[in-house]
Amino acid sequence: MTASQPKPPFRLRWIDIKEQLTGYLFVSPAVLIISLFGLFPIGYAFYMSVFNWNVRKGDFNGLDNYEKAIGDWTGLGIFIAGFLLMGVAYWVWQNALKSASNRVLLVGAFTAFLLLAAGWVISDGWARMLLTGDDRYLESLPLTVFYALGTVPAELALALLLAYALFQNIRGKEFFRMLYFLPYITPAVASAVVFRTIFSPRETSLVNQFIGLFGIEAQKWLFEPKPLVNLMFGTELEGFFAGPSMAMVSIILFGVWTYVGYNTVIFLAGLGSIPPELYEAAEIDGANAWQSFRHITLPLLSPVTFYLALIAFIGTFKAFNHIYVMRVPSAQGTVNVASVEIFDTFYKSNQYGYAAAQAILLFFIIMALTVVQNKIFGEKVFYG
Amino acid sequence: MDKPLAAPVALSVSAPKKFQPRQDWKRALVYLVLILGAFVAVLPFFWMISASLMTLGETINRQWIPKIPQWENYITAWEEAKFAKYFLNSVVITLVSLAGLLFTSILAGYAFARIKFRGRDLIFAILLATMMIPESVTMIPNFLMVRGSIIPLPGPAAWKGSWLNQLPALTVPFMANAFSIFLLRQFFIKIPDELWDAARLDGAGHLRFLVQIVLPLSKAPIMTVLTFGFIGAWNAFLWPLLVTTKDTWRPLMVGLWTFVNEAGPETQLLMAGAVITVIPMLIIYFLTQKQFTEGIATTGLKG
Repeated sequence: MTASQPKPPFRLRWIDIKEQLTGYLFVSPAVLIISLFGLFPIGYAFYMSVFNWNVRKGDFNGLDNYEKAIGDWTGLGIFIAGFLLMGVAYWVWQNALKSASNRVLLVGAFTAFLLLAAGWVISDGWARMLLTGDDRYLESLPLTVFYALGTVPAELALALLLAYALFQNIRGKEFFRMLYFLPYITPAVASAVVFRTIFSPRETSLVNQFIGLFGIEAQKWLFEPKPLVNLMFGTELEGFFAGPSMAMVSIILFGVWTYVGYNTVIFLAGLGSIPPELYEAAEIDGANAWQSFRHITLPLLSPVTFYLALIAFIGTFKAFNHIYVMRVPSAQGTVNVASVEIFDTFYKSNQYGYAAAQAILLFFIIMALTVVQNKIFGEKVFYG
Repeated sequence: MDKPLAAPVALSVSAPKKFQPRQDWKRALVYLVLILGAFVAVLPFFWMISASLMTLGETINRQWIPKIPQWENYITAWEEAKFAKYFLNSVVITLVSLAGLLFTSILAGYAFARIKFRGRDLIFAILLATMMIPESVTMIPNFLMVRGSIIPLPGPAAWKGSWLNQLPALTVPFMANAFSIFLLRQFFIKIPDELWDAARLDGAGHLRFLVQIVLPLSKAPIMTVLTFGFIGAWNAFLWPLLVTTKDTWRPLMVGLWTFVNEAGPETQLLMAGAVITVIPMLIIYFLTQKQFTEGIATTGLKG
């Protein structure tokens, strides 16, 4: 408790030792449990991933499990190189903006070229991996990306809208806040029971009645493995650019419904911490509502937005319950995001070692995403 | 003394604006947005309750309100799905997990906030890092661990070193988490040092200070930890699905999931089942919602 003093000479005093021991004693129950069920498993998952381990431990097989998932190491190398190239493009563009030179057009063209090249390299690497890799696992990754990109931005935008509306002088603010939060606390299995009937393919289901109001014919929703874009525009796209299946879109809507309220509550707190004097000053200077939202609220809220985006993004890459309970066989695996696929490998096919390798690959992807997100958006955050 | 302890975020403060008649339409728009949002948030709950009281025919024809409420759906669901057993299981699992969680996180949160010991910050950082790890990674080794395949686990001889289908498998892994420790630490760290100095002069040690002074001041963050813990334990699904192969300790969520796969088209029974699982959650939420939402808002924010 004497943190502010200059370093005392190192002496063993009973009272210090007692203080230290008390500290260790106090943290030991929590540290023990978290080490056992949170830390140890990471090391052990690595260990399992290099064995041929189906229910019982088999032979050591090096990186075979990883190779089975990825397919082609060269492919992976090319794939990653493509992303690095994208990073270079981003860096070039940032530097060009900073130096504010008059060659912006030239640099712009160069960046565009780099991006195109990166896109080509990425798809080449990906194609190589798909050739020999585990299709089910590899395809679960873009599905995870669809889920993340489908839920996070929509979730944050809606939450900001609701929080901003709640923040005006309105009656019943706490009542609204309470209602918005309900979906978040509801068990996924229970809300899935409801959403499975809402998004059922019956003509009388709630969504089909709703789109019927706009003259759209009944859809199969959760049971529809075809990409949404193809259904809407009659196109015949395939692969990544076809986008998520309609079943996946239904699950995305379910995810958005669940998490909007949580984000609203945190946005609302963020709005509350913006000093009201700023708004008054802006009003005196003649700013309208949109201008003060754009130039005061958004920048000052950016740390909150960044925090929420980070949490939500990692969350979607880990998401399991909300997808697993909405999955029906008719969706033909178009909703099997990475965590669901890993669960199947582990629980259904009993390939423990291989599932561990898949999980560790997912872990690396999440870490990479976190770093990238920190790098790109962390810089843009305004901390006042 | 009150000031630094009160929740710092001004949730109830609104932008001070004078009411002007020409802004009426703006206010109308705001209310429209809010009501629309509330409608979408609540509609599934309305539908859940309404459908749980319908006849099978009514659920197929998608009436909005049942003609005559079929209360016996609840009895049927309760009996068919063995909800009585699962419900009791869930209550026990949740209570035991929460007791453990409170014990570990209060002690650890206090130590990380107020006791100086070697390696404290490092240990804290490592604990926080565990929040990033996907459950997919930990699930597989933890399953082997709980099955007793890695080391024999303590317990009665009849368990043969395995926790599979036993209460500890469903509770012990939930008895500590970095988030709760972090949340409490953030609160404990703001308690003024003068209180500790005074307590020490009176001859109190850390434990007495914690129990007699700190805890009575910390009702709000403890409620937040409890409610989050409740949500986590009550709603847990993936892990209980893995470690309960028999129904001895199977919790409600897994029971409901089994029922979903068995009851098939009997929507009204499924809905009744869903309502049964949601009600305890709602009660806890309504009782604690003010402290809870504010707890999230303040702690979720200031990292």
